[in-house]
Amino acid sequence: MTVLAVQPAPAIPADRAVVVRGLQRNFGTRRVLRGVDLEIYRGEFVALLGRSGSGKSTILRALAGLDRGGSGELYVPRRRAVVYQDPRLLPWARVVDNVVLGLDGPETASRGAKALSEVGLDGHERDWPKTLSGGEAQRVSLARALVSDPELLLLDEPFGALDALTRIRMHGLVRELCERHHPAVLLVTHDVDEAILLADRVLVLTDGRLSLDTPVTVGHPRTGADPAFSALRSRLLSELGVAEDGHAAR
Amino acid sequence: MTISEVRATTPVAVPGGEVGPPGPSLVRLPLVGTTAASTGTGTGTGTAVASTHRRSLGQGWQRLIGVAILLVVWEVVSLAGWVGPQELAAPTAVISAGAHLIADGQLGDALWASLQRVLWGLVVGVPLGAALALVAGLSRAGENLVDAPVQMLRFVPIIGLESLFVLWLGVGQTAKISMIALGVMFPVYINTFAAVRSIDPRYHELADVVGLGRWGRIRRIVLPATVPGFLVGLRMAMAVAWLLLVFAEQINASSGLGYLIVEAQTYFQSNVIVVCLACYAVLGLLTDVLVRRLEKLLLPWAPGR
Repeated sequence: MTVLAVQPAPAIPADRAVVVRGLQRNFGTRRVLRGVDLEIYRGEFVALLGRSGSGKSTILRALAGLDRGGSGELYVPRRRAVVYQDPRLLPWARVVDNVVLGLDGPETASRGAKALSEVGLDGHERDWPKTLSGGEAQRVSLARALVSDPELLLLDEPFGALDALTRIRMHGLVRELCERHHPAVLLVTHDVDEAILLADRVLVLTDGRLSLDTPVTVGHPRTGADPAFSALRSRLLSELGVAEDGHAAR
Repeated sequence: MTISEVRATTPVAVPGGEVGPPGPSLVRLPLVGTTAASTGTGTGTGTAVASTHRRSLGQGWQRLIGVAILLVVWEVVSLAGWVGPQELAAPTAVISAGAHLIADGQLGDALWASLQRVLWGLVVGVPLGAALALVAGLSRAGENLVDAPVQMLRFVPIIGLESLFVLWLGVGQTAKISMIALGVMFPVYINTFAAVRSIDPRYHELADVVGLGRWGRIRRIVLPATVPGFLVGLRMAMAVAWLLLVFAEQINASSGLGYLIVEAQTYFQSNVIVVCLACYAVLGLLTDVLVRRLEKLLLPWAPGR
């Protein structure tokens, strides 16, 4: 997808979508990532938690091919898509043209319309982005990510700028879309509940390394009422250094 | 009523059952909406909008009256002979002079000659400025090659270049049009270049992520993002074009509004001069309105429209 040439990965099993070995990234003298090893299976939904400034977005940008300044080994699929916290729509292009930006192949217009209806925005094809609400704009951004049928979906705190009610709806939408399209997903978020709600596996990044890597064994439908949910929540919060009542857990 | 008046006159029940004016802790804020539906919409905002509209109409009348007073004073000053007709003709004299010039076709010819020069100057200068700005904006090499000489030339007063132009191109149309074209090029270049350079880098990152190639990037991101800045440059270019035209036509012209002015100067016909100046003003205004229309047409996506 990007101009970056991805060399074929020699000894990588076919069921992996992402393989990261020993990823290090320094910004000047600051060592942000100190050796990250991570694997994501095809179709797996992984959430990456960490405090602000922990380097979660750095990992995501490296996987997207936007940040090449690190060292280590990085194996990713060719077709990747990113959804940012800001919808990042081109204001001078209509909604459908935003969705099919960079899309090649046949029948881009109908694929764009189909993607829009999947996110619940049929009829909005010819609208200008300025007329959309924050939630609608982010849904267009999601449609744009999915229209190319990516093998890896990178979500960088995609719902951070939305109000709580819209966020709940977006969670449902993402779950639906992933069940239909089955991309591998890396969701970077600081919202522990969101991570447990959506992910098959949760990672915690601390001091430039992954300090926790645990599957989410909470049964569906996942609600806060489930004791397994709150148990995992407490565990993740303490790993992040935050007690339930907001004080530091150390 | 002011707040203090309301406070004094509105009785409020106080604990203990006594009715008296509100105590010092509360004031009543007067509200101006109506409870009954007075317009078709039936909302308070409906009446508020109607009264605002009426208020601005009143203000419009005030502005017209202000202009009318000025014209009347001008007329009176001329009639009373405080200012001679050779210095500044009365409004009535100006209007009649204008009528004569229109009738014998002189004004029409002059207008057409002036307009042609400006149009040619724009047709040459605007695309040149835009093209140079794109070349400079899209690559480092382009910027180094193009921007330095342009910035250097920019501070040479175009009006001063007039003598050079006449030397090179003679006293005909070409020199005038070239001067206008050069003058027009700079604001278009500067604004378009700034627009290209100030494109949000997140859009470039987006282009990387969705896999847009170089031409796709230029077509889908750079060009549309640059249009608003270009239009700002175009408006400035229009103003510069008219200014340079006035200058060029007064130096050595045989047609056009400036030529009429020079002739009128020779014969002390201030009324003709005022007519020509009014024409310049109207033409300048019209071109500005045109660019604003163009903005509305080309930028339906911009917020605030």
